Amino acid sequence: MVGKNCVAIASDTRLGAQAMTVDMNFPKIFPMTDHTMIGLAGLATDVLTLRDQFKYKVKMYHLKEDRVMAPRTLAHVVSSTLYEKRFGPYFVEPIVAGLDPRTHEPFICCTDTIGCIDFAKDFVVVGNATENLYGMCEGLWEPNLEPEDLFETISQALLNAVDRNALAGWGAVVHVITPERVITRNLKARCD
Amino acid sequence: MDMLATNPAVHPTSTAKQAAFSPYADHGGTNLAIAGADYCILASDTRQSSGYNINTRFAPKTFKLSDKSVLATAGCQPDCNMVVTRVKHSMKGYKYTHNKEMSTPAIAQMLSIMLYQKRFFPYYDFNILGGLDEEGKGCVFCYDAVGSYERVPCNAYGSASALIQPFLDNQVRNKNQQGKEKVTEFDPVARLSIDEAMRIVKDAFTSATERDIYTGDFLQIFIVTSAGVEEQLHPLKRD
Amino acid sequence: MISDIVAQYTTPEASLGFGSEALPSQRGFLSGDVAHQFNSLAFDLPRTQDPVDFLHTYTDVKSAEDNLIKLAHGTTTLAFKYASGVVVATDSRATQGSVISSQSVKKVIEINPYLLGTMAGGAADCAFWERELGRRCRLYELRNKERISVAAASKLLANMVYSYKGMGLSMGTMISGWDKTGPNLFYVDNDGLRLKGDLFSVGSGATYAYGVLDSGYNHELSKADAIELGKRSIYHATHRDAYSGGSVRVFHINESGWEFISLTDVDDLHWEYTDQARAP
Repeated sequence: MVGKNCVAIASDTRLGAQAMTVDMNFPKIFPMTDHTMIGLAGLATDVLTLRDQFKYKVKMYHLKEDRVMAPRTLAHVVSSTLYEKRFGPYFVEPIVAGLDPRTHEPFICCTDTIGCIDFAKDFVVVGNATENLYGMCEGLWEPNLEPEDLFETISQALLNAVDRNALAGWGAVVHVITPERVITRNLKARCD
Repeated sequence: MDMLATNPAVHPTSTAKQAAFSPYADHGGTNLAIAGADYCILASDTRQSSGYNINTRFAPKTFKLSDKSVLATAGCQPDCNMVVTRVKHSMKGYKYTHNKEMSTPAIAQMLSIMLYQKRFFPYYDFNILGGLDEEGKGCVFCYDAVGSYERVPCNAYGSASALIQPFLDNQVRNKNQQGKEKVTEFDPVARLSIDEAMRIVKDAFTSATERDIYTGDFLQIFIVTSAGVEEQLHPLKRD
Repeated sequence: MISDIVAQYTTPEASLGFGSEALPSQRGFLSGDVAHQFNSLAFDLPRTQDPVDFLHTYTDVKSAEDNLIKLAHGTTTLAFKYASGVVVATDSRATQGSVISSQSVKKVIEINPYLLGTMAGGAADCAFWERELGRRCRLYELRNKERISVAAASKLLANMVYSYKGMGLSMGTMISGWDKTGPNLFYVDNDGLRLKGDLFSVGSGATYAYGVLDSGYNHELSKADAIELGKRSIYHATHRDAYSGGSVRVFHINESGWEFISLTDVDDLHWEYTDQARAP
């Protein structure tokens, strides 16, 4: 979700095997650079694999180019990494959210499992409760939210959306990325 | 090829084929209802579509049953139509037999049985019945296709229900809002004035119209109060 | 006088035979007294060679993901008999596919002041047939001038649904109550299975509930402990099972009939139990 000079990214923390909840503290959002995070929703094993792969690529870019990777660049790295497996895809839908390292311009995007990028100026959603999330975000989001308001908006959107989805929830984590710092908060959510 | 030549039974034209019996179609559209302390609001869009085509931009699917009750239907239009006809018919019969109008909770139970009679050949129809109960309180009853029903403070049904329902939970039932009074099933009415509720209804539909292709064109709102049923029509996006 | 009224609502013996309830009514809905429209148990059938197959194509209670008509589902319920009565506890979630359609379903059905039924499987099936059971129990009472036993009531229900065996009903219910013989508990499902027992749990979260229930169950439990056990079992089931949740509803039955004990939001219960575990 985009705010005024800031972006927010949030996810629930459930790991489940169909109806059974296995873990209630499974991170799905990973920092890539100081101002960029990546959220991975989908098959847990692919989430971990891709997390490591992207981290590796971001670090190698940093070493080779001697500059921090911009979120827009990362989006294309994500896209090409996923498309390499076009005919045997990873079961993961990623979100990239961050601020441009030089201009601090907010950037968000998501891709499908084979890397088709969807750029958006307002919000993107992936995973289980997408319909619920779209409804919540359409209803609550407005342009130019300050970091605290953006936090409240994204939290309300996420919590209420996962409360209507049987397979999501059990806790939530929200990161608000501002030029100065990243605010991370864990939310109490319904545990049923 | 050999097989086909030697065994006439597997030749495509040699055996009679039975077309699948497929009596259902999804005509899309969304309904929403909010019950308040002394009012009830039912709203629905008026688009009717088949697949990616729009059949018509104005096909109302919410109907006034009496001065105290309104029925919103979504799903397969012929089935919806039949349900409304049957409910209206039975309400007339009830009135002629007992010389009084059927109360909304009574209609609710009757509709449940009516839907269950089609348990083995269900109506493809998701209903919301709204109105005022015997005490004049707003009431909303929502149904599944075969008659399981429940009294709730607010509900959204139809193609955009997944988009609207969490929004209603948040804005009407105050879910996940610390320090605000929760709306529980012991007193299933929203703690909102009519104006606030109307604002939420319109917000919900403009949001849903953005993302759901089956919702749009016009928003028809029925407001049930002790003064009767007021009907309003508002434009929605037509794309 | 009363017998006239009873007779009015009694189906002739001849048509009460085995499986007779599946026969569609001769009476169209546009004719006859309005009240009588709903008096007979007549179900419309699709005009196909195989109505059951038709039903399975469009509605599937087991995996409602891809089907057109999604029916509301119920899911963790338990009941157990102990020294001073019966405890009945349920969750309150209904799901259609992975969407939570309600968090406030009443899965305990009050059949009459001495009989309770629970709801698991198709919500409409349970609600309708247990309402019908309530009607028949009332008629039994009027005819015989005494309350129906739990055994008889559960058998009525089992026989009713047995005549629709294989037609696609979905129901897993526990009929519990207090009669001349004391507390009684029966499990009845859509296959017509009827079991007498001390402890049952039904639904997708039943395995989780059994785990807690079995480890804490003792016939000599106090009333407070028994109620707490029921509550805790449902809570743990809602915690692990995605299709159970909402609130825990607890009822208790003793010789004076059933009594509503509590309705607790699982969210509140979760933090309460978490704090308890943390306390030294």
